[in-house]
Amino acid sequence: MHARRRLELIIERMAAPRACKILETSGLTGYTVLPAISGFGGDTRWSRDADMSASSDMVVVVSIGSDDKVQAALTELERLLGSHIGVLSVGDVQVLRPERF
Amino acid sequence: MDIALATLLSPIVLFFLLGLAAALLKSQMTIPEAFAKGLAIYLMMSIGLKGGVAISEGDLGLDAGLVMVSAVALSFLLPVIAYALLRLTTRLNEVDSAATAAHYGSISIVTFVAAGQAINAAGLQTSGYLVAVAALMEVPAIISALIIAHRGAGQGENVAGSHRGELAREVLLNASVVVLLGSLIIGWISGAAGMKAIEPFFVAPFQGVLCLFLLDMGLSAGRGLRNGWRQLGPGTVAFALYMPLISGLLAAGVAALNGMGPGDAALLITLAASASYIAVPAAMRLALPKARPSVYLTLSLGITFPFNLIVGLPLYIWLARAISPGAS
Repeated sequence: MHARRRLELIIERMAAPRACKILETSGLTGYTVLPAISGFGGDTRWSRDADMSASSDMVVVVSIGSDDKVQAALTELERLLGSHIGVLSVGDVQVLRPERF
Repeated sequence: MDIALATLLSPIVLFFLLGLAAALLKSQMTIPEAFAKGLAIYLMMSIGLKGGVAISEGDLGLDAGLVMVSAVALSFLLPVIAYALLRLTTRLNEVDSAATAAHYGSISIVTFVAAGQAINAAGLQTSGYLVAVAALMEVPAIISALIIAHRGAGQGENVAGSHRGELAREVLLNASVVVLLGSLIIGWISGAAGMKAIEPFFVAPFQGVLCLFLLDMGLSAGRGLRNGWRQLGPGTVAFALYMPLISGLLAAGVAALNGMGPGDAALLITLAASASYIAVPAAMRLALPKARPSVYLTLSLGITFPFNLIVGLPLYIWLARAISPGAS
């Protein structure tokens, strides 16, 4: 197994394309976007079934890559989160096929 | 009084109230998200087609053109008034006020559909070109609100990852505009003969589908209200109740100046009085991401939409009759 970094970004759906573009330009080789159902934050509860426009829906963007690529993405993602609602975390993971990340 | 009671006791309003009550009582009832989106597209296709067929039968003249121009001008103006009132009477900051103002200048297509039913039930006729008016009134308010917001420092910043054209695409090519205008054009081209072939799907089941959709709207409004009420002060709640009346009065003036009939006037008043909760929130998340959706969504969907449906519609029909020449 080989050490890599895992980036997890919970962000509003409308801003997800912006986040994904940042990941792509940072050289990360892939990411996955997952839907979120409901949550609480900023003194407000939210849920997918309370917003007809789906504009306040949240998604989770997961990407795995080398430390330098994740660091490059973090600088821009920090700027993005200056404007949009979201939570970003990074952790260490082990991968089976390192050439893919 | 009869119109008010008939509107309140109509199946669409009763199903809305059922959904609202279920959500406020924390019922677990849900309508699958994808199904609800399908219903919304069906309703927009149906009214677009009907409007297009009406236009193909000679519903579009100089008078209609003047109404369209007036309606667009009104949609540009309403956010300016809404913003000024929000800044004067509430504690909302500049960005929240601008984003909320955009919602109140744009329109709610579901309120428009419900109004069409109530107006027809009141024995009044409406013109097909008003579907085009509805589509045209979706966008100008967003532009007005962005101009207002960008006057404030720091609101013109370039958000990381954004790219040219994304906002224009969201605003001009959102589902409401594409489906409404697209169906209107298809109805216009195919005419009454073409409509006959698809009538069993798009006309007969319309009322039932609307009931189902309003049930979902009630659930959404109730849950939005439950989730977001903490963000609202009394002044903000009051705004969501008096702003539709101000918009409605201005639209009544426009209708009177254009000599519109009572049915068309009632629809225009309803359009102006309604607040968007589908197209504008999406645009605001891109253009003004620092604005709080819990404020503008709760106001437009949780307060103004139920207000318009239950109290507003009979009032707007009464107002339209009062200002229209020859109306009884």
